[in-house]
Amino acid sequence: MEKTIDVKNLCKSYAGIPALTELSFTVSRGEVFGLLGANGAGKSTALECVLGTKSADSGSARILGMNPAADRKMIFQRVGVQFQESSFQDKITVRELCEETETLYRSPAGYSSLLARLGLDGKAKSPVSELSGGQKQRLFIVLALIPGPEVVFLDELTTGLDARARRDVWKYLLRLKKEGLTIVLTSHFMDEVEALCDRLCILRKGRTVFSGTVSETIAASPHDSLEDAYLWFTGEEETEYESV
Amino acid sequence: MKAFRTMLKTELKLSLRGMDMFIFAICLPVVMMVILGILYGDAPAYAGANHTFLQQSFPAISTIAICAGGVMGLPLVVSDYRHRKILKRLRVTPAGPVLILMVQAVIYALYAAVSLILVYLTAAVFFGVSFTGSVPLFLLYYVLVMLSMFSIGMMVGGIAPNSKMAGLIASLLYFPMLIFSGATLPYEAMPAALQHIADALPLTQGIKLLKAACLDLPTGDVILPILIMAALTVVCAGISIRFFRWE
Repeated sequence: MEKTIDVKNLCKSYAGIPALTELSFTVSRGEVFGLLGANGAGKSTALECVLGTKSADSGSARILGMNPAADRKMIFQRVGVQFQESSFQDKITVRELCEETETLYRSPAGYSSLLARLGLDGKAKSPVSELSGGQKQRLFIVLALIPGPEVVFLDELTTGLDARARRDVWKYLLRLKKEGLTIVLTSHFMDEVEALCDRLCILRKGRTVFSGTVSETIAASPHDSLEDAYLWFTGEEETEYESV
Repeated sequence: MKAFRTMLKTELKLSLRGMDMFIFAICLPVVMMVILGILYGDAPAYAGANHTFLQQSFPAISTIAICAGGVMGLPLVVSDYRHRKILKRLRVTPAGPVLILMVQAVIYALYAAVSLILVYLTAAVFFGVSFTGSVPLFLLYYVLVMLSMFSIGMMVGGIAPNSKMAGLIASLLYFPMLIFSGATLPYEAMPAALQHIADALPLTQGIKLLKAACLDLPTGDVILPILIMAALTVVCAGISIRFFRWE
């Protein structure tokens, strides 16, 4: 069976400095896959190389059996993306941004129900610039789900959200996962990773240091919580560690 | 088509909220027409001419909106969208560069059309200017001037490395063309040396075509300006789509 996402040996360097080395992973339909790592570990570079918005130096990435750079228009009918930074036109309102996004897709999910689902009902007429950080974050998750996607990429999906909103987002994503949505996410919150991810991959300076399920990750470390295991794998548990 | 219409509607609203095109493409040309109307009234273009100075100025002033939208508005909006990473977001959607650029081009074409109508009404209603030439030919040339100016703007917006550069290049194109092509300062009032320099600007050639159509002047050497502008359009539009940068 063909994998929904199939990444092989991706390498990318900036001005000779490697940002990503030999990244490989696969994600099956309905799976949630987490890319973990400290700031600057290469998570965003990895996402962008997989999505084709950055060209990898070597290796390959296929989404739904297609090459994202070559089959851009076909892939992004079926794939939603939320980047870390929220980008929007000056003076645009929530409704206008949603309409402009929705119109690009052949069979979009209605944005009104998505807004309501993520607690943004009543905000349709507000300028996007006047939303709070957490509201903007939720709006950009809505935009990623407007295509009615088969696969969604979420870069730091709940950064800036309060506890209630995070739980709501998780709950909704798990429901979509049950319906067959494949999710690739990056996160700094281990409770989030434990709640959502079937499998994860820990990056350190662009290299994969561990890849497996949450329980495998914990088992492979001398610790008994995911957060401790994660810090152990990324070499950030002690400050002296880095003084090589 | 649905995507185009929805984006056009939204982007037009956003552009109107910005106000700057309303000022530079709609108000400025009308004000210019009023000033020239007050200054020259129904004076002839030159001693013994059988058309008035205002009749001769109308086609020039009607291109101010094309110039403002094409070489200022278009490159700035495209580079601003790149700078704000809106293009990066659109890159992971099915939207293509042609759709994005065409929506903006049509918005500025609408500004130009509204401006043309208002300038004409101002000239006709308040200063009694009559249009003696060929309307279809005038409109044809108007579209040609618009296509060539807009393609320059799309090329600048499409390939400028950042929004500062785009702003700089746009200003370098916009102000000389606005002032020296005859769009604002009458070409006929310039000294001969300046006229020679002005002739190198594509907009000057466009205005000459418009004047010929408008005043029913002998159209001896129209082929060359037409060819130059058509070539400019094809080359610049081609470059802007081929080398379109999302980031």
